[in-house]
Amino acid sequence: MSTKVPGDLTNLQSAASSRGRRFATALKGLYAKPASAFGTTIFMVFVLLAVIGPLIAPYGENQIIATEAKQPPSTSHWFGTDNLGRDIFSRVVLGARDILALSGLGTLLAVIIGIFLGLISGYRGGWFDETIMRFFDSLLALPALLLALVLLGILGPSNNSVLIVIVVVYTPIVARVVRSVALGVKTKGFVEVARLQGESLTWILTREILPSVLPALTVEAALRFSYAIFLVASLGFLGVGVQPPNPNWGLMVSEARSNVNQTPWAMVFPAAAISIVVIGVNLMADGLKRVFQAPVNV
Amino acid sequence: MEGKYKHPGTGRMPAVMIFFVIMALFLQACAGASATSTPGPVSQEQASQTATTEGAIQKGTLRVALQPIVQTDPALISSDPEIMVANAVYDYLVDITPQNTITPRLAVDWKVSNDGLTYVFTLVKGVTFHDGSSFSANDVVWTFNRLKNPDVGSSTADLYANIDKIEATSDLEVTFTLKNPNPFFLFDLSDNHALVMKVNTQDPTDFNGTGPFVVTKYSPEDRVIVQANPNYFVKGEPKLAGIEFIFFNDQTAQVDALRGGQVDLVFAISTDLYTNLQNEQDLTLLDVATNAFDLIRLRADQKPGDDPRVIHALKLATDREAIFNLVLQSFGEPGRDSPIGPLYTQYYTDQYPLPARDVNKAKQLLADAGYQNGLKLDLHTPDTGNRPNLAAVLKDQWSEAGVDINVIVEPESVYYGENHWLEVNLGITGWGSRPYPQFYLDVMLKCGAKWNEAHYCNSKLDELMTTAGTTMDEQKRVEAYHEIQQILIEEGPIIIPYFFAQLGAINNQYQGFVMKAFPGRSDFRPVMFTGS
Repeated sequence: MSTKVPGDLTNLQSAASSRGRRFATALKGLYAKPASAFGTTIFMVFVLLAVIGPLIAPYGENQIIATEAKQPPSTSHWFGTDNLGRDIFSRVVLGARDILALSGLGTLLAVIIGIFLGLISGYRGGWFDETIMRFFDSLLALPALLLALVLLGILGPSNNSVLIVIVVVYTPIVARVVRSVALGVKTKGFVEVARLQGESLTWILTREILPSVLPALTVEAALRFSYAIFLVASLGFLGVGVQPPNPNWGLMVSEARSNVNQTPWAMVFPAAAISIVVIGVNLMADGLKRVFQAPVNV
Repeated sequence: MEGKYKHPGTGRMPAVMIFFVIMALFLQACAGASATSTPGPVSQEQASQTATTEGAIQKGTLRVALQPIVQTDPALISSDPEIMVANAVYDYLVDITPQNTITPRLAVDWKVSNDGLTYVFTLVKGVTFHDGSSFSANDVVWTFNRLKNPDVGSSTADLYANIDKIEATSDLEVTFTLKNPNPFFLFDLSDNHALVMKVNTQDPTDFNGTGPFVVTKYSPEDRVIVQANPNYFVKGEPKLAGIEFIFFNDQTAQVDALRGGQVDLVFAISTDLYTNLQNEQDLTLLDVATNAFDLIRLRADQKPGDDPRVIHALKLATDREAIFNLVLQSFGEPGRDSPIGPLYTQYYTDQYPLPARDVNKAKQLLADAGYQNGLKLDLHTPDTGNRPNLAAVLKDQWSEAGVDINVIVEPESVYYGENHWLEVNLGITGWGSRPYPQFYLDVMLKCGAKWNEAHYCNSKLDELMTTAGTTMDEQKRVEAYHEIQQILIEEGPIIIPYFFAQLGAINNQYQGFVMKAFPGRSDFRPVMFTGS
């Protein structure tokens, strides 16, 4: 930020407090409707599980209790045990951290890179916009799962590869959303004024345009997050993402397939976990959309 | 793009759509149908019928589910599926029965000299290759000289190094002269690679064999289609009109396809999948005791395996009984870190005790070797059979001794392709069953042997293996084998936790299939289609 203007500090402070207010308002808005309240609660419960999982899981994620293989759900094993004697409840709980962290981090990176490229593309236009957007169009032309499989084929299966896949698959979508909002905002009077005042590009992008993009972006990020969870689980199921014996829910469903007649619970619970968390995040994203649909004050 | 955010009514769509997709996936998995099953199978009604020259009716196309094959040159094949396809297309000079005895195939009979150094084989008359050319002793000479040649890159170069010369002593007679006596020479000649090819074959992948089936179509990564050889030299065989080898990367998909009637035969399946098939009415289950095993080995020429204390620590950290019960569900036999299993009756011994599991001692050994803070290792394993489960159990057991392994599950074609399996530091390798133990020792444990995947060398062991493989004194051989087992238990580079039973299933409409301990060597010639 090369150009300092009078009242800068005050602006920052008021921005911070307005951000806090906005968060409180958003949360209140989410809990105003039962569906989004339900979704938000599910999401928070899973985030809590991811954080305190090791405290509540009775067994280790890969701990094998040789004498208790293939046990149906009971008081000692709430979700039963699998063919190798691993406690399904512990694996589902401990798997929450991995799947949420991987999809969360991937989405965050995609959002950051998407904002950066989308803002510059939308504001600057020209050859930069053309190049980036045509490249992204070509990526978007491929189905997400296909693109993911190709990338994993090249990168080899690992957590880092899955992270890269999420970023590559979702950055173009985020950048497109950001660019479209930026295109609409850049002709507005307050941006013109900032430009005439001689503000730097960074200032205009982050202080003038970004706030207008944020509501749309929040909804988009939440949606991307739910898709990312689904993608991580799908790649696990297909055996090309996270590797066994990691308690990735998709992988657990896939591993349990060969035993479905004997230990159906080993498949049902991780599958239910995927469904519940994805639906929860989606309901929350719906709520966020409703909250932010009110005219944004810029 | 703005519409994505602003258009009313689209917000709920993703949740609903995802819900349906998840439910669809879940139901599909429950129903046992697989997205990867190969489309367009030949139905029983479509199964073609052809008449042999003798007038016998050949009918039915057996559809076999296989892992994809990579190598098609008989000298270079190594996996069960590769050998199974080759065995249908080519013939061996002598073959092995399901009871592990030698039986004629292209050789009608043979004579062995008193000193055990000269073998004279008489060949079958009137055999032709698929290209129409006739078969003679020169083809056998050329084939074995090629297998003997180290430049070809076959693991048989070591196996046949003892052959001094191979001569065509007449049009239908071949004489092998050995440098030293070899009590297992006939078994060596029946090695998986020893399929007789046409003399001076330019392209060793051209499928020009004398075998019971002729390749009509090979689409890599998809399938191999073969048809009965109308000129096959055994009267009335093969009894099938053809075989379709359909490739699947995933054994669950193979079993799903068997259930769904898209294939007729699966083998080399995990105990989990096998136990799930036990209530199927249309299937005959196949369960054969074998000397096949999964072997865990750490390279002895690299860190950390270059310190023998490390592999010893891993042995102490392994709970074999738990592995046997969990992974094999008690199908098969417990292993003793040596490839000489109970199937080899007198050669096998259990008189040397395996060290009991002792995690503290394992930790101490690792600390002595300089790994006080534990070890982090990648464990590569093929995705077939029980290997992924074995890896999961090992990860848990070894973690108690401070060994943190990162499991990397690879398709079998990747693991064995391009010699990847010989290069990885820590790996689980499945070894097929062989009719005699010397094979394993010669190719897996001798210094510098082609498939010495542990890159291990022990001169005392080498000496014993040479004695066992050359002496004509049976008692001396038994003693040598017993001593080899003792050395392998105490200081060997490998962990062999079990010998697994070979499990599979075949559709009831096919009769006469006898699965061999090495399934790739199973004989399709007598298999009959009895359906309508």
